[in-house]
Amino acid sequence: MLMLEKNQKTPLGIYVHIPFCRSKCEYCDFYSLGGSKEKGLTEDYLEAVCLHMKEAGALAPNYLVDTVYFGGGTPTYLGPEDLVQILNAIRRRFTVSNDAEITFEANPDSVNEKMLKRLKAEGFNRISLGVQTDDDQLLRKLGRPHSYRQAVQAVELARNVGFRNISLDLIYGLPGQTLTDWERTLTHVAELQPEHMSCYGLKVEEGTPLWNYKEAANLPDDDAQADMYLSTVRILKEQGYAQYEISNFARRGLRSRHNLKYWTGQEYLGFGPAASSDFAGKHFTIAPDIHSYIKGVKEGGPVLSECQEVPVRERAGEYLMFRLRTSEGIEAEEYMKQFLLPFAPLEALLQNYRAKDLAAFDGTRWRLTPRGFLVSNAILVELLDAQEHSTPLAKRRK
Amino acid sequence: MTELSKIRNFSIVAHIDHGKSTLADRLLEECKAIDHREMENQILDNMDLERERGITIKARAVRMKYTADDGETYDLNLIDTPGHVDFNYEVSRSLAACEGAVLVVDASQGVEAQTLANTYLAIDAGLEVVPVINKIDLPAARPAEVKAEIEDIIGVPAEDSPEISAKNGINIHAVLERIVSDVPAPKGDRSAPLQALIFDSQYDSYRGVIVYLRVKEGVLRPGMDVKMMATGAVYKVVEVGSMQPLGLQPMEELGAGEVGYLTASIKTVSDTRVGDTVTDASNPAKEALPGYRTVQPMVYSGVYPADGSKYQDLRDALEKLKLNDASMTYEPESSIALGFGFRCGFLGLLHMEIIQERLEREYNLDLITTAPNVVYRITKTDGQVIMVDNPLNYPDPAEIQLAEEPYVKASLMAPQEYVGNIMDLCTARRGEFKDMVYLDATRVELHYEMPLNEIIYDFFDALKSRTRGYGSLDYEMDEYRPSKLVKLDILLNGDIVDALSFILFADNAYPRARKICEKLKDNIPRQMFEIPVQAAIGGKVIARETIKALRKDVLAKCYGGDITRKKKLLEKQKEGKKRMRTFGTVAVPSEAFMAVLKLDED
Repeated sequence: MLMLEKNQKTPLGIYVHIPFCRSKCEYCDFYSLGGSKEKGLTEDYLEAVCLHMKEAGALAPNYLVDTVYFGGGTPTYLGPEDLVQILNAIRRRFTVSNDAEITFEANPDSVNEKMLKRLKAEGFNRISLGVQTDDDQLLRKLGRPHSYRQAVQAVELARNVGFRNISLDLIYGLPGQTLTDWERTLTHVAELQPEHMSCYGLKVEEGTPLWNYKEAANLPDDDAQADMYLSTVRILKEQGYAQYEISNFARRGLRSRHNLKYWTGQEYLGFGPAASSDFAGKHFTIAPDIHSYIKGVKEGGPVLSECQEVPVRERAGEYLMFRLRTSEGIEAEEYMKQFLLPFAPLEALLQNYRAKDLAAFDGTRWRLTPRGFLVSNAILVELLDAQEHSTPLAKRRK
Repeated sequence: MTELSKIRNFSIVAHIDHGKSTLADRLLEECKAIDHREMENQILDNMDLERERGITIKARAVRMKYTADDGETYDLNLIDTPGHVDFNYEVSRSLAACEGAVLVVDASQGVEAQTLANTYLAIDAGLEVVPVINKIDLPAARPAEVKAEIEDIIGVPAEDSPEISAKNGINIHAVLERIVSDVPAPKGDRSAPLQALIFDSQYDSYRGVIVYLRVKEGVLRPGMDVKMMATGAVYKVVEVGSMQPLGLQPMEELGAGEVGYLTASIKTVSDTRVGDTVTDASNPAKEALPGYRTVQPMVYSGVYPADGSKYQDLRDALEKLKLNDASMTYEPESSIALGFGFRCGFLGLLHMEIIQERLEREYNLDLITTAPNVVYRITKTDGQVIMVDNPLNYPDPAEIQLAEEPYVKASLMAPQEYVGNIMDLCTARRGEFKDMVYLDATRVELHYEMPLNEIIYDFFDALKSRTRGYGSLDYEMDEYRPSKLVKLDILLNGDIVDALSFILFADNAYPRARKICEKLKDNIPRQMFEIPVQAAIGGKVIARETIKALRKDVLAKCYGGDITRKKKLLEKQKEGKKRMRTFGTVAVPSEAFMAVLKLDED
């Protein structure tokens, strides 16, 4: 009976946004306060997050939390005790499964042995480390507060402490970077044997410092980035990493279970300013403002900047947009059953892409090839357009 | 009824930017014709577009009362005129309604080609020219030199001309006194049969067409049956009156010498052509006033809705614009590439731009326009002569016995250090040098005969950039001359895009073909496959570029926090693609069409 009840619970991911870091990097457009920290702000923030969890937990009794993710900012910029306090609040307010994936993001300069030991002991089992590049000159240019040597030490430390699921973040398409530079970086970093790697093409976002001098930054062009991407896929495959999403690669099946929720339409709840949720049929996002968040939670005022019910038709669009980011891709039967829309108009396009080696079909599922991933926006625009003009199956049967 | 001796009818002649509209504002203020509170800058230019571009597109007129230093009160009728060469004929008719013209010359810039052209029109019309030196408050003002220039170049005494600043309201009174003392009072016989000159008309959705006119002979009253002598249309007059700054003022009659308006429930301005004579249908004048002519469009272009489903909206908008603009023509046409649209005829490039902009702005339409072309005269081998205003109708070369294109007489004016540049430009544009006149020690006027076709492609911009903005241009139609013409086709991914085809001088084909291919390559976004862009004459490819396949269009990062934003990005990209035209498999944004129209020199 008890077993049954547990099985009936819906899986849920929890994301906690820690909007603090030592200093903002030149390219970063996440909500984070950088070095400027008011006195007592972290305390207020912690109090608010924990209170927020209490309220939210009461609304989600039938959910089983199977992934927790601390992102930022730099979560480890807070001390280990603060992170543990939040994790304990989650455990107190939600049902967390025993084998939950519990990830925290960290910067190489913000970790030490004591901290890692403590976090490991409290149940954190996955660390995502921002390495970005092995070129110290570039790291300085980007405003990263660490050297590559520190990154190597952080990985060794995590290993020694007992972390068996280490993920490293890298960026390509950096100022002045050549294809050879990048291939060297990848090979170099792969020697550290992380279980997981995320490799992102640099996108210069408006509002970041880099945006203001992007013309002068000697950035590799789209063609160069495309070449870097294709060699990433090739080199990591050689090194034993399987690509499971546009920018994500894993060994031994150690994919990020939390991030997969975003791409496969599963539910997640976000806490902290700027965090987003997909929960109970709605997308909602907390306003990116720590003060309004603290005030809103404590006084029961509004904290959301956006909240939308997502109709089925839009879910069908999301299915294409996000599933096609993964190596699992999409499937006709699944699509028709879930959305009652015909797959044929999509299949016609997909056949075209397959002829151009942009898509692949394994007899059941359609996925994009690495070259397809590279132009996935253009592909999605066509697929979404075809979807928009298709007639629902239910109506057609009448 | 005002005594003839107390009426002054005048217009203001000026180069663009020399301050004509500002002076008009100041005159109205000075005469207290308008409350300061109601004073909107440049009240005469009441179309938004005019205010923005600082030019007068349609003529307007206004009446003001002025009590002069002699103690008498005068009726001053100011007839505003368009300042651009495209509207030369309309200018000439406005001037024919006046006895005098105030010539505004910028104290730093001096006399320019347009000033000269319009002043000559005024002198030809027998008007008294009253020079005024404007912008004397500018540091670069050189009033004495400019006065000498006016006397030397135009031959009008200017020694004691008022030196004013319309912007700052300096010396406006002197201008009004000059108008009263120098502009002759109108003449006319109230007992003669009615002759009134139409100098403008405007469609109003409540009253029908409002006809602006100058009564030359006789009297015009409500209830009369009047006849337009050129179009033959007859109407019963509903209302006559004068134009006040903020509206129309009905009156019992308009007599010889007066400027005013009439309404008669007229449905279209096509019945009330500028230059036509209004007469009494029951007691008609023996002959019409001289100078009327039917205005023919000189430049044609295809106008298409960017979104094909807006065709009907475009038709409605053109219909409405046509109510107000008899000189624009439009006819349905269709293109394989662009679907249904219209071939529109314009007086010139500025007229074309204005119409297109009004369609987009006032009627909220997105347009794709094809390259403008002139009207070619083709004599076929069977002796038939056809006028070709659309590249799609250009006959097969084998059927052409003689191809001719229109030429213009162009006069260009600039400081002498730019003569070399101007000559290079005109030679490159197939101009034939006629002569060169030194207007004074530093300024030169050059005369050329050149194909109109060469002027309609960004010639004015090229002239401005080669003369640092000092060069000015004026031209008039001359004649058709035999020419070596070819039709150039553009192919995207192997298919001809008919809307991009155009006719040009054979020797220009190679360089222009290359440039167009380059422009298209730069303006068509990369797509999932490679796209050849070719230019061909009669099936022979003479230029080629390749739009490389799209390599990267991806959102590298997409997690919880980005999902809503990334969704919106893709939605936006999808909408953007919808606004493009698809030819075969190639999506082309309307900017690509626009880019082809603007081929830079150099």
